[in-house]
Amino acid sequence: MKLKLPITLTIDEVLFNRLHQHLFPGDFDEHGAVIAAGIAQTPNGTRLLAREVFLAKDGVDYIPGTRGYRALTANFVAEKSDFCSTEGLCYLAIHNHGGFDSVGFSPDDVASHKRGYPALLQISNGIPVGALVFAKAAVAGEIWTTEGVFPLKNMKIVGKHTRLLYPSPQDMPRRSKRVYDRHARLFGDAGQEILRGLKIVIIGLGGGGSLLNEWLAKLGVGHIVAIDFDRIDITNLPRVVGATRWDARTWLTGSRWGWLQRLGKRLAAHKVHIAKRVAKKANPSITYDALVADILDSSTAMLVRDADFIFLATDSIRSRLVFNALVHQYVIPGVQIGAKVTADKYTREVANIFTATRLVLPGLGGGCLDCAGAIPASRLNSEGNNAEEQRAQNYVDDPQVTEPSVITLNVQSAAQAATDLMMMFTGLFEPNAEMGHIMNFARERRISFVEPKPDPFCLDCGTTSRSRKGRGDAVRLPCRV
Amino acid sequence: MTPDVSAGIDEIKAMFPNSAVIAEEDGEGGAYVTVVDIEIGSQYQPSVASCGFRISYLYPRADIYPHYIIGGISRRDGQARQGVQQVTWRNQQVLQLSRRSNKWNAAHDTAALKLAKVLEWFRKL
Repeated sequence: MKLKLPITLTIDEVLFNRLHQHLFPGDFDEHGAVIAAGIAQTPNGTRLLAREVFLAKDGVDYIPGTRGYRALTANFVAEKSDFCSTEGLCYLAIHNHGGFDSVGFSPDDVASHKRGYPALLQISNGIPVGALVFAKAAVAGEIWTTEGVFPLKNMKIVGKHTRLLYPSPQDMPRRSKRVYDRHARLFGDAGQEILRGLKIVIIGLGGGGSLLNEWLAKLGVGHIVAIDFDRIDITNLPRVVGATRWDARTWLTGSRWGWLQRLGKRLAAHKVHIAKRVAKKANPSITYDALVADILDSSTAMLVRDADFIFLATDSIRSRLVFNALVHQYVIPGVQIGAKVTADKYTREVANIFTATRLVLPGLGGGCLDCAGAIPASRLNSEGNNAEEQRAQNYVDDPQVTEPSVITLNVQSAAQAATDLMMMFTGLFEPNAEMGHIMNFARERRISFVEPKPDPFCLDCGTTSRSRKGRGDAVRLPCRV
Repeated sequence: MTPDVSAGIDEIKAMFPNSAVIAEEDGEGGAYVTVVDIEIGSQYQPSVASCGFRISYLYPRADIYPHYIIGGISRRDGQARQGVQQVTWRNQQVLQLSRRSNKWNAAHDTAALKLAKVLEWFRKL
């Protein structure tokens, strides 16, 4: 398998903490483990995605070596490498050294790789294998492929504090532009530099998505990918940031002639192009990809695989399914936002007005939308039917009826989501911050916190062999063919 | 068709070995499926009919409903029943059986199992 360079490793915080506590229990000794990782080949490099961590028991699986200080036993290596080969995962042998923020392989390590990895590579059916060595706040690695041996560029830990580990300390961040002076006073030049390095995907550029778009650009995020196939409509103007009557071609769509109305709708601006205009105005140096596309299409969803964070701001349950799959399969954190107004079934009077901000971190217990019941199988079914089929099933809402939508509700869910992103990447969350879903009930002026309900059998975040967690390109996304 | 949809159709063939199973691609990765000549119960005239439904590309994550009894069947006692209605599906008059599974679990539920449950319900109607 030929890997696109650079090669990085991404691991969720729960797995990382387990591994880190095993490697650094406070005895200053060396310990061993294995990571089984999925592979995602993207245009910008290869992402290894930690799916499982196997801890080697001291004295049983990790013993004094004949050539070096310690070594994984042949049995442990055989068992775990066989598992990886069978599951199509990359085998990564782990051990630790002393030190804090700088680490590298010893001559003994390098010699042992040269002895063992060519054979391991042969029995892995061409799937790369490799080794990582940790210090407390550093990691170095080398990845063996049929095309050669390549270094691991860095390791990303995804969770409450999403951060990167490198083999050695990186250069000091450059001083932030003066325009970000007030930001830097909160999270420093380093924090601003982190935001500048992010690639953020926004799915849905309607009310909520367009707010996020402007805020992220002003926050100094370096790269936004906006995905929406929809064009602006006059009824969107009170909510979509930056949209004008010119964009909506209101002089055509407001005509009394049907053919002019249809022409106006066809000529109206795409929401992503309005969003790009807004973002460029807020931050002229931003890299912006405006994609007139549908996340339900596989070719579009695949473009998201190397994002740092995903915002989902659409109404459809099918897009939630794709979003949830991307989060867990490619180990990318994300958040789903939405506002809902429910009406009494019989009187049609307003019953509830609420907003949701559902942060989803990769891994079991991270707020998986499916475990939370936010991807009902029945809604997936009905959304897949055409309008005639939906009407025939008279227990679903009439697809012709448009839901209410108001900008203040969009703001409520989007503001929490954007703040969550900022806190995660600048390390400002308290260690014990609760990361569950937040519901805000406007009529009752009540905020409700929803604890995650992890299901080990979940096909997205679960721990069974059927789960897509960390599988990368090895399994298909739930997209249209 | 997605591999999951193909596997679902194979399971239907295995569960209904005496019926022909016709699958047509729906253009998105799913399939329109018709299971031919199924016993639907002696209370119906005729007592054997075909059952059609769509397995979407989202299978097994999406539930499968409704199911459609194809062909002009009627109850021998002439009584109407709840949960059943005449509709047009794929340009033909059919009987729609609306059996949504609110507790559908993608890890356990299958298209074959759902069809068996729907038919069992219909036979007892």
